[in-house]
Amino acid sequence: MTAYDYLASRLTTSLAVTVGVSLVTYGLIFLTPGEPAEIILSQQLGRQPSAAEIEAFRAENGLNEPVPVQYLNWLLDVCRGDLGTSYYSDTPVSTLIVEALPVTLELALAAMVVALVISIPAGVASAVHQGSSIDYASQLGALLGVSMPNFWLAYLLILLFPLTLGVFPVAGAGSVGHLVLPAITLGTGMAAVVTRLVRSSMLEVLDEAYVDTARSTGLRERIVVYKHALRNALVPVVTVLGLQLGTLLNGAVVVEIIFQRPGLGTLLVDAVFERNYPVVQGVTLVTAVVFVVTNLVVDLTYRYLDPRVRLGGETA
Amino acid sequence: MDSTLLSIDNLHTQFQTRNGLVRAVEGVSMTVDQGEIVGLVGESGSGKSVTARSIVGLQDPGEIVRGSIHLDDVAVTDATDRQLRRLRGDTVSMVFQDPTETLNPVFDVGEQIAESIKVHEEPGPQRLLEYLHLPPFSSRSEWREYRERAIDLMEQVGIASPADRVDAYPHELSGGQRQRAGVAIALASDPDLVIADEPTTALDATTQAQLLERFRQYNAERGTAILLITHDLGVVAEICDRVVVMYAGEVMETGPTERILEDPRHPYTKALLECLPQRVDRESRLPTIDGSVPEPTADRAGCPFAPRCEYATAACRDEEVPTVALADDRGSVTCVESNWSESDTPPSRTGAPGARSESTAAPESAPGDSDRPSPIVELEGVSRHYSLASGPIERLLGDDDTLRAVDGVDLEIQAGETLALVGESGCGKSTLASLITGLERPTTGTVRIDGTPVGSVADRDAATLTDVGVVFQDPHSSLNPRLTVERTIGEPLRSVGWNRPRRTDRVRELLDRVGLSEQQATSYPHELSGGQIQRVAIARAIALDPSLVVLDEPVSALDASVQARLLNVLADLQADLDLAYLFISHDLTVVEHVADRVAVMYLGELMEVGPADRVFDRPTHPYTKALLEAIPSLEPDSSTGTSLEGTRPSPVEPPSGCVFRDRCPMAETDCAETDPDQRRLGPGRAKCHFATTDASDP
Repeated sequence: MTAYDYLASRLTTSLAVTVGVSLVTYGLIFLTPGEPAEIILSQQLGRQPSAAEIEAFRAENGLNEPVPVQYLNWLLDVCRGDLGTSYYSDTPVSTLIVEALPVTLELALAAMVVALVISIPAGVASAVHQGSSIDYASQLGALLGVSMPNFWLAYLLILLFPLTLGVFPVAGAGSVGHLVLPAITLGTGMAAVVTRLVRSSMLEVLDEAYVDTARSTGLRERIVVYKHALRNALVPVVTVLGLQLGTLLNGAVVVEIIFQRPGLGTLLVDAVFERNYPVVQGVTLVTAVVFVVTNLVVDLTYRYLDPRVRLGGETA
Repeated sequence: MDSTLLSIDNLHTQFQTRNGLVRAVEGVSMTVDQGEIVGLVGESGSGKSVTARSIVGLQDPGEIVRGSIHLDDVAVTDATDRQLRRLRGDTVSMVFQDPTETLNPVFDVGEQIAESIKVHEEPGPQRLLEYLHLPPFSSRSEWREYRERAIDLMEQVGIASPADRVDAYPHELSGGQRQRAGVAIALASDPDLVIADEPTTALDATTQAQLLERFRQYNAERGTAILLITHDLGVVAEICDRVVVMYAGEVMETGPTERILEDPRHPYTKALLECLPQRVDRESRLPTIDGSVPEPTADRAGCPFAPRCEYATAACRDEEVPTVALADDRGSVTCVESNWSESDTPPSRTGAPGARSESTAAPESAPGDSDRPSPIVELEGVSRHYSLASGPIERLLGDDDTLRAVDGVDLEIQAGETLALVGESGCGKSTLASLITGLERPTTGTVRIDGTPVGSVADRDAATLTDVGVVFQDPHSSLNPRLTVERTIGEPLRSVGWNRPRRTDRVRELLDRVGLSEQQATSYPHELSGGQIQRVAIARAIALDPSLVVLDEPVSALDASVQARLLNVLADLQADLDLAYLFISHDLTVVEHVADRVAVMYLGELMEVGPADRVFDRPTHPYTKALLEAIPSLEPDSSTGTSLEGTRPSPVEPPSGCVFRDRCPMAETDCAETDPDQRRLGPGRAKCHFATTDASDP
């Protein structure tokens, strides 16, 4: 299979996955209890809306149509590049997302960096010194990282840094300083998972014969480990990183709310409470796209890391 | 001594395992002189690999507990990491056994060779970022230069069109090419000593012959010493000046190759030599060594071979055995003198010490008598082609390469005969076997079993299925590790509806037939040795009384002495049960011993078929001749003659006309134009324009 064929087939599946996600969220929204028009209007008007007002709202937003028709209308609009407008502010959903997305991406990226910076050296050191105190310390750390809920860690960090030591802002977004605590909060859990994975993958690779071949040429152990072994050990790790992104976006919702960052997570949670359907739909769609694209990138990276994946067939 | 390059003195290397202390190497002393080729020989578990790894400091997780290793006057055992790295980069290199595992899959071979050159050329500190090719820290032009030199090295080790192959990743190369790349990595540092650990074991005889020739050349041109670790005495005879024989972590005997092969003094060496099929007359039983290698965890005193030795005395078992130096530089023997000193006569061909040595001619049935009424299996114009197109679109576009794994094969197997199928790896042997067992369905042609055309397994009726048994190559992966021996053997019986008591009886009978004890019925595969597992596989194959057993490389993973015992078991079974065997092997010495008829395969086609004696004594096809010449001969100093040049063409684009012509020494223009027919020649046939019965007579 050529690279183009591969890309084409992957893009087709990605599209199907994205549409599927939007369909499911659309369905779930209509299963949530409460009459959206009533909730929205009572918030906007500050009083109980009249039946006529509700009816007018429903008609205006197409809520009287059967659900499948509503969905198809929405999908057609999306295809035209229109994600709809918020029920509250008349702001286009796309504008809201464009404002919020960088804040979340920034956080996710920073968390990913934190995770990798912690997990790769820790995992490698753990594997290289298997059974030593370094190994136990890193494994204990990983266990703590996995078991600690991120909201709890977030409050601990806020207690320690801004409140006691007076460094880093408590909440908000905008500067690098604002990013540090949320990134640590979000990155730790992921670091823990990845550390364990790097460790086990590395242990396996260090047993391979080609590692001995590299040693037998007189290479330094450091180069043997970080050049020859690590690249092989990262192959399974990269796959998991892609999947971890889902967890990361999930976690971002909680972390953004704690640190009051105006990102996608905050936008989504608010929209859910307000029954702001177009926003919920838009955010979900964008998140799904981000997730699908990342995994596509992961697969391409995989092909780079492991040349055996590059071509469909054996050429030997 | 100035000329001593490597000296090992009383080396003890041990491993701490869950089952206790494993004494892998117990007091090995040996030397390698400059420019010498020394063979280190022994069966698996004899400690030869651990000895080799100890020399380069790669014994981890083992530990050198006693003794010393001096390499170029540096004490390896006390060397700092830096000294050890310099030794590896300058003085000693290692070639490892399995070329599929010894090259890093994520770097192209050029990078791996270039890196080894760089390590050798730049003795200074090795900076990680430089080796990671990070631009500001590493110089592109420098790497490019090393890569150019890597291409030269690849050419030296015999990789065809090295400039193209330098960018290839290991998985894109054939086994032989990979091993050559491994050799290039080793030679990159222009070492004084190359340690080659079973370098040709995983390769075909023809590739093996080419590679050994390279070693010999390199040794002659550069004066590089080689320590060749192998279990194959044929390889030793081929290129070694001197031999060290190891058993259970100890050196049993050392001496010049010629002396060891012709006048072995140690009972173990003698027994080992006598198990070799090429030393025994065809159709007679192979001598074997009773018992097995002692547990390396056990405490022991005296000679480790004593429990299996015919000459062993109480003193051998309990006391330290002296190493006696033979006069005239004829080596040394670690054995009580009385046992070997009188045996100045060359070893007899039939009697093996400590072995069931009766040389009864195996009651062999069915010499290739072609008048027999109906063969068990008949293949008529059978082909198996694989489409390489990856999807329906490519297929529609006509981008449809086909791989001709098996192409137009006519073959029949008679009741009770052993038909050997030989050829290099990738020639389609195993696919042909799969067509017979029904694991594959032929693209064209007919497979008949007992005269009835059959399809794949799914289409065969119960009677046809029970008629063919299979034993696969790798015993460890062909048995389910979670089933006991009893369940493994009983599985085919259960599938045809036998009840439990009947199964138990049958399993007991089968175990007895293949020479396993009843207690082993409850064992799991990991508790058994390679030879025992293969016996279980055979028992499973014959459980339903088949008339044909397909044996796909049944003994190639086994040591010589174990192999001999298994071949005897197979001969007994054949005689008792009137089984026919399809014996697939690349080891022609084994084939010569067991086969009634031989079929030689090349690139999916049969090149020659005929009675074994005829094929081996007077081959008619040039390819058969080339294969036979590639067998390492046990006669020292006999050169292999011409080995097969070039590499096997791809079965996707076979040469026009005769598929063998581009490697054939006899090829003429006609061969490129017309595909030769199968020519009948007396009892055999050959697919060659020049195949006449006279062609082989000198």
